[in-house]
Amino acid sequence: MTSPPSDIGDQLIAFLPNMRRFALSLSRAPDVADDLVQQACERALASSASFEPGTRFDAWMFRIIRNLWIDRTRRQKTAGPSEDVYERHDLMGEDGQQVADARQELSSVRDALEAMPEDQRAIIMLVCVDDLSYRDAAEVLNVPIGTVMSRLARARKRLAELTGINPVPGRSTGARD
Amino acid sequence: MIEPMIFDDETLMAFADGELDEATTKAVERAMETDDALVMRVAEFIETRATAREAFTPAEPVPAALEAAVRGMVERHRAAEQPASNVVSLGAARTRRFGFAQQSWQLPLAASLATAIAAGFIGYQLGQSPGAAPVEPGLDGFSSAEIASVLDSAASGDEVTIADGSGRVRLISSFNEQSGALCREYEVDRSAGASVVAVSCRDDSDWSMRFAVAAPAGGDGYAPASSLDALEAYLGAIEAGPALTAEEERAALDAAAR
Repeated sequence: MTSPPSDIGDQLIAFLPNMRRFALSLSRAPDVADDLVQQACERALASSASFEPGTRFDAWMFRIIRNLWIDRTRRQKTAGPSEDVYERHDLMGEDGQQVADARQELSSVRDALEAMPEDQRAIIMLVCVDDLSYRDAAEVLNVPIGTVMSRLARARKRLAELTGINPVPGRSTGARD
Repeated sequence: MIEPMIFDDETLMAFADGELDEATTKAVERAMETDDALVMRVAEFIETRATAREAFTPAEPVPAALEAAVRGMVERHRAAEQPASNVVSLGAARTRRFGFAQQSWQLPLAASLATAIAAGFIGYQLGQSPGAAPVEPGLDGFSSAEIASVLDSAASGDEVTIADGSGRVRLISSFNEQSGALCREYEVDRSAGASVVAVSCRDDSDWSMRFAVAAPAGGDGYAPASSLDALEAYLGAIEAGPALTAEEERAALDAAAR
């Protein structure tokens, strides 16, 4: 999407919207997201020598952001609400969903993602929104590629259920773990 | 009903994402020709991707404060970085210069901007070749020998009193010009009156002044920003190399003294 300029500073600035979007998807709080992005930029500049030109800049930045986020959640274990708090089930029933207009549907995708566990949210952002390959996403998340695939498939099934996308009547017959 | 092949969700998703190997891709395509349920399962993965993408594209605008913070940090990073090449652009030279001077200059510069007065040139000897006999105007009555001895020994950042306390020489930075000659940027001021921003380079055994701009000082002894613009133009024109580090400068001065 962005033709990478040679200078790391230019790359950082051009990539700010994507970094912030990813940070927002992790933290769900704009002020925290801005903090994460700023810290990530600092870290990237400080270690720019260790960035190999052949590797993907976007994956590198996402990994830094995610690591910062993990550090932060570890430190603030007691402060953060658990995922269950966000397991909201006030989502509309299947038939109500059919008549939702396009705008509502968009916000419901965001709502649905917000309601999903963090690791599912992150993988959807990386692959579906930011177009990372499974391999790059595996590196960002520091998990095997098989984990990326099973987690992403689960996340998308869940997203489909929550938003009423699911065009298949009844359950999928596919293997589930 | 028995499907000829069973595909799990991961495989169909990888198919939808274009991440499947060729052989399996062909197998899925073949199966989809006759299996509508399979088509629907693939469609679901295509649709979730498209929907997620649509909901988050374009990304929200970045808050101005965040962007400003990152731009500032990028500028500081550029300023601190030693360019690998000897040839620097004017823009890079300016960034480097301000970066170098940032700690000690930031406040005086800001203060003097308010009272910035057009600098008066007393010497602008652009393009003079290193071998040519240098014009040595002296500086407002200060002996050039006295200044030369400061240039020989003082490190950048130092401030040395000359002419029995009636003047000061402040060393700003050292760099190599294109020919490799060692050059020093410095300021000279009288206790009351004009500052001179100057660049002298070493030819064989002597310092010759290549550039000087006189500027009324802003009261704190620092030259106003407008005279620095002239200096930047000059440094850009001669393609001045990056500022030497403290060690590089010391080594260059020692070598020149021998």
